[in-house]
Amino acid sequence: MNMMSRFLMALLFLLLSTAVWSQHEHGQAHEHEHEQSVSENTADAASVTPATGRLTTTPEIEAALANGGTAVVADVLGVVCDFCAVAMNKIFGKQEEVAAVYVDLDTKALNLVFKPGASLDDEAIAALAVQAGYRISAVHRNAAVLGS
Amino acid sequence: MRIIAGLLLLLISAAGSARPVSYVGGWTLIEESNRQSTAALIHYTPSPSWSLGLRSEWVRDEDYAITSLQPTYLLKRWFGQDYQANIYLQGGIGLASGTSGNPLSSTTAAYAGVIADWETRRFFLGYNARYVDAGHFGDNAMQLVRVGWAPYEGDTQDLHTWLMLEVDHRPESKDPVSVTPLLRFFRGPALLEVGFNIVDPTPLLNFTYRF
Repeated sequence: MNMMSRFLMALLFLLLSTAVWSQHEHGQAHEHEHEQSVSENTADAASVTPATGRLTTTPEIEAALANGGTAVVADVLGVVCDFCAVAMNKIFGKQEEVAAVYVDLDTKALNLVFKPGASLDDEAIAALAVQAGYRISAVHRNAAVLGS
Repeated sequence: MRIIAGLLLLLISAAGSARPVSYVGGWTLIEESNRQSTAALIHYTPSPSWSLGLRSEWVRDEDYAITSLQPTYLLKRWFGQDYQANIYLQGGIGLASGTSGNPLSSTTAAYAGVIADWETRRFFLGYNARYVDAGHFGDNAMQLVRVGWAPYEGDTQDLHTWLMLEVDHRPESKDPVSVTPLLRFFRGPALLEVGFNIVDPTPLLNFTYRF
């Protein structure tokens, strides 16, 4: 029993410590929109309202934009954890058209900046998301992506 | 000797609680140690719907180990804006061999199981059932349910923390039902779970790394 109590205390200590460490200690500074979707209970892509459609910026994304790249924001269904983000980053990061990629769990969006003169169409983005294990519900390419 | 063998298995890395099918072209290294066994698994995902792994599991109290090929098939995935749910079918076939001086000869072993989960950024519900036939080493079945709650929603590359409770049922065990509170820490490609079984006093230690 003593051993168990000590173990539980150690776990509690770990939990309290990590909750403090985790408060947005990002390696990359980025902006969050933190807007909530209107449609919280929908199960399929067709009926889902886009999360924000606004680009989340990171130093890599800003650099790619400054280099003349074009941005696309895709709303993704099912991204609930860092494994999801890692999968999308790996799959999209390998594409030669892509200059920068960032998956934002808060906005549930895949943020892409293409190399100057390059692009992927909506179908290609959707197919790549399937390879990562997820599904795209909407792709935004207009000026609103950049907040203008 | 058992501790050394267990540590070796841990170092090789083992078996899973997080998504058993990864992204196309992805490798996953998993270690799992619970009140019954210590296991290591490495798997490769050639398609979004299945993965193939090599698993080594040491059933500590029964003094045998199973080395097997383990395919996992994603039967169904549900997507929502705020959740994901999955049902996987898993199987394995390989060789069971005695450990710690167990004189029984090696024999063919096979197992089959199902894994289901539903997850949001704040809540987790999972179910796992498996039946193992290890020939003259015996057979065993288990099922477990896990519930989890995240005290905060971590964003990409944050440290994600989960409080979880696992209830397992192993009919052949001296304590057929046991309870394990655990903590899950998750960041980027790495996941660590640390817990302690309060019925059958044993630590739980799981680790997953994707690359």
